[in-house]
Amino acid sequence: MLEVQGVCKSFDGRPILQDVSFKVQPGEIRVIVGLNGSGKTTLLKIIAGLLRPDRGKIWLGGQEVTHLPPEERRVGYVPQHPALFHHLTVEGNVFYGLKGKPSDSFIGKILDMLGLRDFLSRRPEELSGGYKSRVSLARALAPRPRCLLLDEPLSGFDLAIKGRLLPQFKRVLELLQVPVVFVTHDPWEAEELGHSFSVIVQGQVWEVPSAEAAFEILKESFCEEGAVVGI
Amino acid sequence: MKKNIMEVVYIPLFALLVVFPLLMLILRLEPKGLAQTFSDPFFWKSVYLTFWAALGAALLSLILAIGFGYYHLFKPRSAIYKLAFLMNELPLALPHTVAGLALLIAFGRRTMGFLGETGLAFTPTAVVIAMFLASYPLAARALTAGLDSMAKEVIEVARTLGDTPVEAYFKVALPSVRGALFSGFVLAYARALSEFATVALFGGNVAGRTQVLASYVFSQIEAGHLEMAVAAGAFSLVWSLAVVSLLSFRRLIRC
Repeated sequence: MLEVQGVCKSFDGRPILQDVSFKVQPGEIRVIVGLNGSGKTTLLKIIAGLLRPDRGKIWLGGQEVTHLPPEERRVGYVPQHPALFHHLTVEGNVFYGLKGKPSDSFIGKILDMLGLRDFLSRRPEELSGGYKSRVSLARALAPRPRCLLLDEPLSGFDLAIKGRLLPQFKRVLELLQVPVVFVTHDPWEAEELGHSFSVIVQGQVWEVPSAEAAFEILKESFCEEGAVVGI
Repeated sequence: MKKNIMEVVYIPLFALLVVFPLLMLILRLEPKGLAQTFSDPFFWKSVYLTFWAALGAALLSLILAIGFGYYHLFKPRSAIYKLAFLMNELPLALPHTVAGLALLIAFGRRTMGFLGETGLAFTPTAVVIAMFLASYPLAARALTAGLDSMAKEVIEVARTLGDTPVEAYFKVALPSVRGALFSGFVLAYARALSEFATVALFGGNVAGRTQVLASYVFSQIEAGHLEMAVAAGAFSLVWSLAVVSLLSFRRLIRC
């Protein structure tokens, strides 16, 4: 289980996250929605160990990992842009986190489910955007992380590509049976993938019953912020 | 057709200040000067020393630039990075005679006397160090520019996949910016080839021992052998052109 306990983070005195707490069970996909700059990526980076929280704790599988560096947390991270290693092939990217350990049937299953089997010898620059995203996901999954964090991995794709990618992503995420945090702006993605939903508003995370409710709160907060800045 | 202001100003100035002097050097070449220079063993010794010393200086520059790049990427707020950043830029502004003097004091007879009568000064090693001081900032700049253009997420992902900062730097960051590494090496080598004042002061200008090509040209001018200076200068020009062409070659092979 992933547990975020009272996490606070400020940048240059400006609070980004305030007393954020939530739990994600193994096999659960928690969708988090929020406006740009609301702290979604900051929250993921704190869970991954890429940023230190000012206060609060992170627990993973019953172990407190707040002070562990990212390389010791075993957290899979899929950033918004695929961030593939361009000096390596698709195979080199996917197997990167295994550190020479032999591959098992799990990785074979991931490659098949994501349709990457025939692309292993290709270079990242030879792939379309959709395939780059699949490689990025397969790379994060291959070392069997204890938790998976996805930061808008499907943003920038049109509906047709999303329509093909979403079911594949969902099947693969469910295969791993670990806590998944999925950040998105897209109600469709949230609806298709999410088991539980949260919304970040003014640095605080609120749990909501559905994707619809999450986007309703987001819309209201956008109108309020818009009114403040005169939109 | 009406020409714009840039064409009117840029092209004549470029032609006058860059192309014209180099063209005049080539036009002053004489067969006699070429024959005399190419049969002078000291010329070839200076070429030999310049080649190897510049290579050594460029390699040393690259090694230090790689160290600096690590701090640039992972510890940009550390005191050592801030100091190194300032010191990196210094050799660009510092008169080369001052740099040579500093090296002479630091590695000369008084501090390094146990190594020999003149310490490290006036030895081929001194030539490498003097060239390094001039060329290192260019290697560091090229590498950090490459690292800045690299997506930071690449490093973040490598860290979550189990890499320590050092592993992520060597296994992901540096291979991702190998083009910048190559540029840094070539720029450092090119700068080392052209260094004169620091080399002359710290390395000396001992024909056949510490005389580099730039010093050889200077010595020939001083001795009144203009035709030999022109021949050595033209040789140096072709060499420099070949080196800087490597930067274009890099773009061609998409290194």
